[in-house]
Amino acid sequence: MITRVRTELREYIVATWLSGDPRGFADDTDLQQAGVLDSFSTMALIAHLEQAFQIELEPADVNAETFRSVETISQMIAGRMPRPKESR
Amino acid sequence: MNRLDLLVAPWAARDPDRTAIEGTDETLTYEQLDQLANRFASALLASGILAGERVGIHMPRSGRSVAAMLGAMRAGAVYVPLDPSSPPARMSLIARDCALRHVVISPALFAGWRAAGVLEPVEHVFLSADSPPLDAPGSRIHPWAEIAAESPSPPAAPGSDPDALAYMLYTSGSTGVPKGVMLSHRNALSFVDWTADWVDLRSDDRVSSVAPFHFDLSIFDIWGSLSRGATVVVVDEAAVTSGRRMLDRIHSTGVTVSYCVPSALMLMLENGGLEERGAPSLREVLFAGEVFPMKHLRRTMAALPRARFYNLFGPTETNVCLAWALPGVPEADTSSIPIGLPSCGDVATVVDPGGRPVAEGEVGELLIEGPTVMLGYWDGGRRTPARHPYPTGDLVARRPDGAYLYHGRRDHLVKIHGFRVELGEVEAALNAHPGLREAIAFAVGQQLVAVTVPEDGSVSVLDVKRHCASRLPRYMVPGDVRLVRALPRTSSGKVDRVRTRAAYLDGDTQVLDPAHRAGN
Repeated sequence: MITRVRTELREYIVATWLSGDPRGFADDTDLQQAGVLDSFSTMALIAHLEQAFQIELEPADVNAETFRSVETISQMIAGRMPRPKESR
Repeated sequence: MNRLDLLVAPWAARDPDRTAIEGTDETLTYEQLDQLANRFASALLASGILAGERVGIHMPRSGRSVAAMLGAMRAGAVYVPLDPSSPPARMSLIARDCALRHVVISPALFAGWRAAGVLEPVEHVFLSADSPPLDAPGSRIHPWAEIAAESPSPPAAPGSDPDALAYMLYTSGSTGVPKGVMLSHRNALSFVDWTADWVDLRSDDRVSSVAPFHFDLSIFDIWGSLSRGATVVVVDEAAVTSGRRMLDRIHSTGVTVSYCVPSALMLMLENGGLEERGAPSLREVLFAGEVFPMKHLRRTMAALPRARFYNLFGPTETNVCLAWALPGVPEADTSSIPIGLPSCGDVATVVDPGGRPVAEGEVGELLIEGPTVMLGYWDGGRRTPARHPYPTGDLVARRPDGAYLYHGRRDHLVKIHGFRVELGEVEAALNAHPGLREAIAFAVGQQLVAVTVPEDGSVSVLDVKRHCASRLPRYMVPGDVRLVRALPRTSSGKVDRVRTRAAYLDGDTQVLDPAHRAGN
């Protein structure tokens, strides 16, 4: 589950804010320090996450810690998503 | 000498065999230039040119084109140098704007005018070289042989007013319609004399002609050289697109003084092997027209340790109004060099948007008053006089030592989400990235876009963003960073901002060829 979220999120960020150039971009890249996320792009990202993963984020979910990297965002999202039924 | 058309004759009398213009396939001595100018003047007068009429000069840079300019002025007319690389549609706008009845043109370029139907206002076509017989409805063609057979004696009634209009340079207007900038003999000579004295231009100097004649840098190349009995060495249009051929030409002709845009020097650095080959004959290097990215300036100066370097500044409307002699190679941590101290007799002031002078160190718009300020804009013959002092639209700040620092164009100030963003500042940050060769920034809606040329494949978009985020407020970090192989350039060699932005909006990968393709 979290792997799918990570992949989806990484691809979205690379396509939207890195002109499709994934070089040097890792799951633990600090998105603010790297100049990828600012307050406006964070709002755009939230709208995308809510739509793509069918979740609603609370104001408490949105802070510098949770939006630090692909990894931290993925963990937060995985925690908000309905648990899948045990498949086996 | 207070008129451009009077500069050549004294040298022709004193030292007739001295080389005035060394072209790629024709060299003219001062005497030959003087006589050919008189032949052009006679031909123009014989075809009924009126005092103050405009003469289009549309041909590759050469001795003949300089003779045509001189001849036009000696006939009491105004010369209008036209860009050989511009499309006929633009020529048509200019020809109609200044009601060109007379053009001096190369047979090849004339073929383009005829094919595109530009000829409408033109009544007399003077061909600058031999060609098979040509015809054009409504126009009279004067073959080269006819001009060459004219009497070389000077016209009977030379002009004497130094404040008369001498030439017009068409620059791109913000609306897309070219604007004719009207310059007088005094405007040009205030700049040319001051600068020639400043760099100690002498009769044994060999001055390169790199800038196109419709671009104001050429005013120094031509009239500065001819005022001092020096030689103009033409670096032809094909050579200026190749750093290697440009440097070959400088080597083979022993150019001592060169005035060009930083892009031209950078071309010699990147593709010409300037660092390995040097250019030992170069004594004075003047540059203007755009910001010289600091790391490239340092490399260029290191490659030419014996040359002195000068940064000149001023829009076409004021010639050069500020100038700065670099005291040495800037330190590695220098972010910018001054654009200069007031020069050429001009006075500079810096004002806020309300027109009040600002304090030292504060950024404001540069106003210029003095002898280099243009007469005005031609404006379809309405002749709009220049505003005094002339507002340059450039943002500067004055240092305690009186030198001015450049802070970009006033119209490069954009608002992103309500924040004021000076694009020049974003570009300065981008240019400080060691892996970027050059970069420009612009706004598209609320998004800041950077189009950059990496030195090699090791630079990623993330690197560029991270670099910007470490130097700029977050709202000034470009949201969209593109890595491309090259930026489009204008015919004067400067980065073409309008075309870059248009290509970005159109997704035109012909013009903006990605340096890195997604998925590689």
